[in-house]
Amino acid sequence: MTAVLDPARGAAAPRAGRRGGRRRQSPFPYVLLAPILVFEVVFVVYPIIRGILLSFHQTSFGVTKYVGLAQYRQMWHDPVFWSSVRTTFEFTFVMTAVWISLGLAVAMLMNWSFPGRGFVRAILAIPWAVPDIPVVLTFLIMLDPNFGILNRFAAFIPGVNHHIQWLSAPNLAFIAIIIMVGWKGFPFFSLILLSSLQTIPDELYEAAKVDGAGPVRRFRSITLPALRPTLGLLGVLGFIFSFQQFSLIYLSTGGGPGTDTSTLAITIYNQAFEFFNYNYASAIAVVGLLIAVAGTVVYIVVQRRVASVRGLEGVNAAL
Amino acid sequence: MAAEVTPVTARPPVRSPVSPPTRRRRSLRRKATSWLRGAIIVIVCVVALFPVYWMVLTTFQPAQDSITYPPDLLPHGIQFGTITSLFANNPIASWLLHSLTASAICVAVTLIFSVPGAYLLSRLRWHGVGAFGFLLLFTQLMPGAMIVVPELQFFRQLHWTNNLLALGVLYAAFNVPLGCWILKSSFDSVPSEVIDASLVDGCGRIRVLFRVLLPLSKPGLVAVGIVAFFGSWNDYLFAAAFLTNQSLYTAGLGISTFITDQTIKLDQLEAAGVVFALLPILLYLTVQRHVVRGLTAGAIKG
Repeated sequence: MTAVLDPARGAAAPRAGRRGGRRRQSPFPYVLLAPILVFEVVFVVYPIIRGILLSFHQTSFGVTKYVGLAQYRQMWHDPVFWSSVRTTFEFTFVMTAVWISLGLAVAMLMNWSFPGRGFVRAILAIPWAVPDIPVVLTFLIMLDPNFGILNRFAAFIPGVNHHIQWLSAPNLAFIAIIIMVGWKGFPFFSLILLSSLQTIPDELYEAAKVDGAGPVRRFRSITLPALRPTLGLLGVLGFIFSFQQFSLIYLSTGGGPGTDTSTLAITIYNQAFEFFNYNYASAIAVVGLLIAVAGTVVYIVVQRRVASVRGLEGVNAAL
Repeated sequence: MAAEVTPVTARPPVRSPVSPPTRRRRSLRRKATSWLRGAIIVIVCVVALFPVYWMVLTTFQPAQDSITYPPDLLPHGIQFGTITSLFANNPIASWLLHSLTASAICVAVTLIFSVPGAYLLSRLRWHGVGAFGFLLLFTQLMPGAMIVVPELQFFRQLHWTNNLLALGVLYAAFNVPLGCWILKSSFDSVPSEVIDASLVDGCGRIRVLFRVLLPLSKPGLVAVGIVAFFGSWNDYLFAAAFLTNQSLYTAGLGISTFITDQTIKLDQLEAAGVVFALLPILLYLTVQRHVVRGLTAGAIKG
């Protein structure tokens, strides 16, 4: 019995499997595993395999034939593919930086003690609870060239056009997307960073003050080093989250103007559902899957190193 | 705050004790700091919640105010005509019902599969737990756009497109991994002594799960339900690919068709957004303690 059910195995115990090594295994875990494994294999793993197979075929006029690496060769010479790779990395990089800096700023604010802190913390997380479609709708209206409130603020800056076409001007569309996705995603980062900030003992700051360290120095010498593991993990998560973005971008710009905001996810969708080229879309998706696998591996590696840090244990559950 | 004073008062009498004017200046400074902090917090809240305010404002102010330039920051009155005409002219109610159906299925199926999954990750010892963890994590981190094409072909083959039940089950497949991790952290936080005691009492593994772990993991179960609900309510990608029959549209899909529809006015667009966001926001505000705890407490071991 205890060989299988191990009450000692809580948060702090080492990983199972290895330790249970040579003992006789009870079938119970596998009985429990079977349904969930079948479920995930049927709905996730099997379609992934189908997608990989699709990328080696070409269907035209109802006839499907094996074409080997032809889709990949086409991809290699396709400027649209390469531009979407570049856009993806630009977007994930900028987005991660924005999320982490916004999240850190807000987390440090929340770390002050003031009356109504719990309330402020709760309402500042609201953007995270707003679904994608209302986010797109409200930003479309705020960014509207004719009636948008943002152009009213922009008009205060001398020499600025009063009717900025936020979502159809090159570069501006990218910035608009960053603002929108940044707004929706920052509360997650600030909540995680706040729980990390709260593990830094006050005595450290007090001692630094006695030694005459100013706020900037205290931030650089105490806060940043203490947060470094969390920041590393959030860096990986920021990449993964921004790599996953689809509906916010698709519904606001559709990847445009041109291919300015067309990340891999958008390119795949457009190839599949605008040009109905399922095979080519699948080949691009295989590249995306490889990037996702790499992201998962990096996440596991970083998280293993960080898991011992207090206040961070739940990050995985928070995805 | 006290820390600022300590070094000064603790300083040995090298200099004379702090003179009254200095003390007054210091307390003034402290007051100024706390006012400044308050101001910063208020500004941050206003900026962060502005898009939500704008959504609500556009919905409830007189319709013509939404299409004047320059727009005003404060409403000139309140009306509910936008909302009522939105419901009267569009099948919003049935779209919401479809979304609720798919979400309810997703929540139920996610809970059913997350419980054994979390038990496997948390309290049982077996070979392959690492590979299982990787599979779950990968499923969770993979962008939906990478899989939507083969998934659509698969569902077409089974004649499961235009089927809310099938859509809800698919959402569950993407939410089970997250559910497993959240519940695992709940299970991990149950003290070992409690489980030891029930083992001594002769409970089997199934009974330990149902009699001990689950009753002690209610916040975790709530968090899993919420996350699964958000995941399915939020979806656009799979609904857009799988539902071609307009009479089956989910709210997200239906409302998104407004974006390209030139006949829909701006205020109607925002009203639809408010209606769609209302349920998740209310749900979040009622259970935010649970969710935040579920998100920031627990344990991970891949």
